[in-house]
Amino acid sequence: MEPPRSSGVGIDNSGEYSPEIAETLRFEEEIQSLIHPSSFDGSAAPTGGGSFTALLGLPANQAVELLHDSGAREPLASRIRVGEHPVHRPFHLPLDCSSAFPSNATLVDRAARFSVFAAEGSPASSSGRLKAEPQDSDSPPLDPIPTGPAKRKDTGRSKCDVRLSLSFKSQAKVTAKKSKNAEENTDGDKLPYVHVRARRGQATDNHSLAERARREKINARMKLLQELVPGCSKITGTALVLDEIINHVQTLQRQVEFLSMRLAAVNPRIDFSSLDSYLSAECGPVTVRNGPGGVVVDPSLWPTDATAEATRRLLVPQFWHIDLVPPQLQPQQSLTTWERDGAAHSQLLPNPTTSLFLYDPANSGDTNVPHRTAKLKTAEDRALNL
Amino acid sequence: MIASSSSACRSKTEEAGRKAQPPTKWRATAQQRVYGRRLLDALRATAGGGARAVKAAADSALALTARGQSRWSRAILLGRRRNRNRRNLLQIKDKIRSDRGRTRPASAPRGTDRLRVLRRLVPGCRKLSAASVLEEAADYVAALEMQVKAMRALADAFSGAARAAATEAQRGA
Repeated sequence: MEPPRSSGVGIDNSGEYSPEIAETLRFEEEIQSLIHPSSFDGSAAPTGGGSFTALLGLPANQAVELLHDSGAREPLASRIRVGEHPVHRPFHLPLDCSSAFPSNATLVDRAARFSVFAAEGSPASSSGRLKAEPQDSDSPPLDPIPTGPAKRKDTGRSKCDVRLSLSFKSQAKVTAKKSKNAEENTDGDKLPYVHVRARRGQATDNHSLAERARREKINARMKLLQELVPGCSKITGTALVLDEIINHVQTLQRQVEFLSMRLAAVNPRIDFSSLDSYLSAECGPVTVRNGPGGVVVDPSLWPTDATAEATRRLLVPQFWHIDLVPPQLQPQQSLTTWERDGAAHSQLLPNPTTSLFLYDPANSGDTNVPHRTAKLKTAEDRALNL
Repeated sequence: MIASSSSACRSKTEEAGRKAQPPTKWRATAQQRVYGRRLLDALRATAGGGARAVKAAADSALALTARGQSRWSRAILLGRRRNRNRRNLLQIKDKIRSDRGRTRPASAPRGTDRLRVLRRLVPGCRKLSAASVLEEAADYVAALEMQVKAMRALADAFSGAARAAATEAQRGA
């Protein structure tokens, strides 16, 4: 017979886990009482003991895994992370013990229902695991685990297997504690078949689990955004990262506006055919209207373009562009070209200011962006006012 | 001129991809080409209507290139087609479409205001949950970067052509 010596180990190293010592002591007796009647069963004894080792081994598995994980997350995530460990067994016992411990199925069901991983799929998943149980026996992978190196793991294991025998009422105690030990679910007074998904020191309400899932989703998306926005990986703290992201979005939108100004300025001037020669490398074949000699055709277009309207439309955005966007590319060159045109732009100079102000409110209906300044506070104020 | 950053972006690690992650999806040069072509067509149609029209055309082209897979692209396209007065229709559509996996639009304890600002910035995200807003924002940022790149290249090409034509005219005249 195998006495619960690990619980003895647990007592030795239970300095950190002092509140649980009483429990361990109490439940040692329960375990022993459970084991002894099982030893009376002729055929079930070895299996009972074996399953108990399996029990001990399994908890060690879970303990190791639980000690490694600091609050593993989503079901998928926990499955993945668990997959890294050599053995992932849900925290269950082989059903060979069922003969030794009567009415186990009901206890297991109860445990499964209230298991730590109380998320939506847990009853289904635990039932699935229940089906997987008969296939699992005292499998070899369990053997290396009891020889876990760290003392701490032993204590964890002891805690785990002791917890197994915790009564169902104590589940509340267990869940309430934020100890470093694995949160498990136990069922009744008999040794349980427990299905546990590792969750370390966290509450197991449905609400908190759902909230945690939601928080993890948001954090994952934030990480994605952080990678996207340059210079955000160094920043720690969600608020600052969000600020940076907002700043980046506003900058990009502003750039789009200025570029559209530039394009609008250049548009009537250039025949698109001439553009094809420049863009053929990037944009692939574009229909050419006037053939490859598009550049020559341009001068002929100028007299038609050089109406007062066209020049006004061209010059005005150009001036606005120059005023507001010094860092933008080549404002000087285009200005000189416009001057060379010899249009009477001196009379158009007063216009840019008015057109500028006209442009902004008109565009604000589109995107609400132009009014945003670089300072987030003013932007926020406007956003709150809007 | 359009920097082919595809190699750089492909070295980026993709997450467990149920869908194409925004950075890789929008940085492929194929996307840039598609967008460039669409932008050119849109610009041709603009016929020099002014900067506002150019921007609208550019945004519509961008939304088209997104193939309507993201909420903001649908919002842009629908906003353009219908009148401004019909915006309630747009909101109804958003509600219908967003019934899939949307949790309550919770105001997250951290950075509530920022989330609100973000919602306003990204088109079509007024009533989404925090997670969806962040997701849309990621896609939107990637798309905007591509748009800026393409438009800058176009503008440079334009002005280059303009300058060349100007010098030609000078020489000719």
